[in-house]
Amino acid sequence: MNTDDAPSVWPLASADQPDGPVPGEWVLLSYRMPREPSTPRIAIWRKLKRLGVAQLGDGLVALPADARTREQLDWIAEEITEAAGTAGVWLARPATLRQERQLATELAAGRAAEYAAVLAEATAALALRGTARTAAVRKLRAQLRRVRRRDYFPPPERATATAAVADLTADEHPTDQEMA
Amino acid sequence: MNWATRASIHIDRAACAWLIRRYIDADAHFVFVSDPADLPADATAFDMRGVDLGHHEGDCTFETILRRNDLADPVLWRIAEIIHEADLDDERYDAPEAPGLDVILRGLSMTRTDDEILVLTGPVFDGLYEFYRRSLLLGREPA
Repeated sequence: MNTDDAPSVWPLASADQPDGPVPGEWVLLSYRMPREPSTPRIAIWRKLKRLGVAQLGDGLVALPADARTREQLDWIAEEITEAAGTAGVWLARPATLRQERQLATELAAGRAAEYAAVLAEATAALALRGTARTAAVRKLRAQLRRVRRRDYFPPPERATATAAVADLTADEHPTDQEMA
Repeated sequence: MNWATRASIHIDRAACAWLIRRYIDADAHFVFVSDPADLPADATAFDMRGVDLGHHEGDCTFETILRRNDLADPVLWRIAEIIHEADLDDERYDAPEAPGLDVILRGLSMTRTDDEILVLTGPVFDGLYEFYRRSLLLGREPA
């Protein structure tokens, strides 16, 4: 939450979009957890990472609001409370489109890096044959599914990575049939 | 008995309603509320924040209800694994059925009311139960 930015951002955003769209709704989770024991703290951190949250600050994360993201953050808030922490779930709108775009760009960049990793592994897997190839495809498909699930602002890398994983099976059909 | 949960139900709440009706309260009547403040005083709430029958220690509500009612049926626990993964997708269990069931319920939530979803999904969970009951007995996938 860069309140310092507000004065300069406001006029720019409104100049861009005089009557244009307004920022969308986001769900925010604010939380504090005891430093020890560290196990629940790490478990929560993993869950948030898995959901692909944007880190707005210390103990403040955000996701674009929909039924699923609201529910997921609700349950995580509950879990934090059960682990002797405090948590609140909020619905909020970025004050400007520009601020929302920054947030979306940051999230998209995070996913782009994950898709790039899938692409690199898929390219390497082209050298594999038979069962090793099949195992690689299975792993990469699961990885893709995980990334897609937390991909709220799909970057171009999404299509590239998906195509690269699909290509791994395209020239592999005879082997698949032999094994079946 | 009256049971209440959040409106716009998804996989966990639909499965819990089936579980409650089949194993806990054959005459269960379900109420769906948008705001926890609208909870009827005489209703047992489930799958809502701050209630006993909710998510606890990483369990989804379906698992919590099984634990609270000492339901140890391995078939129900196999279904619980699927519901858990469809709901939380945290890879605690290996449940490849979960993503399929998840999209079916997400789609239904777009076209049907909560009451209709309970009517439609009841037979689905009955069928799942029978499938996993047979596969447990056979020790392999039934036909």
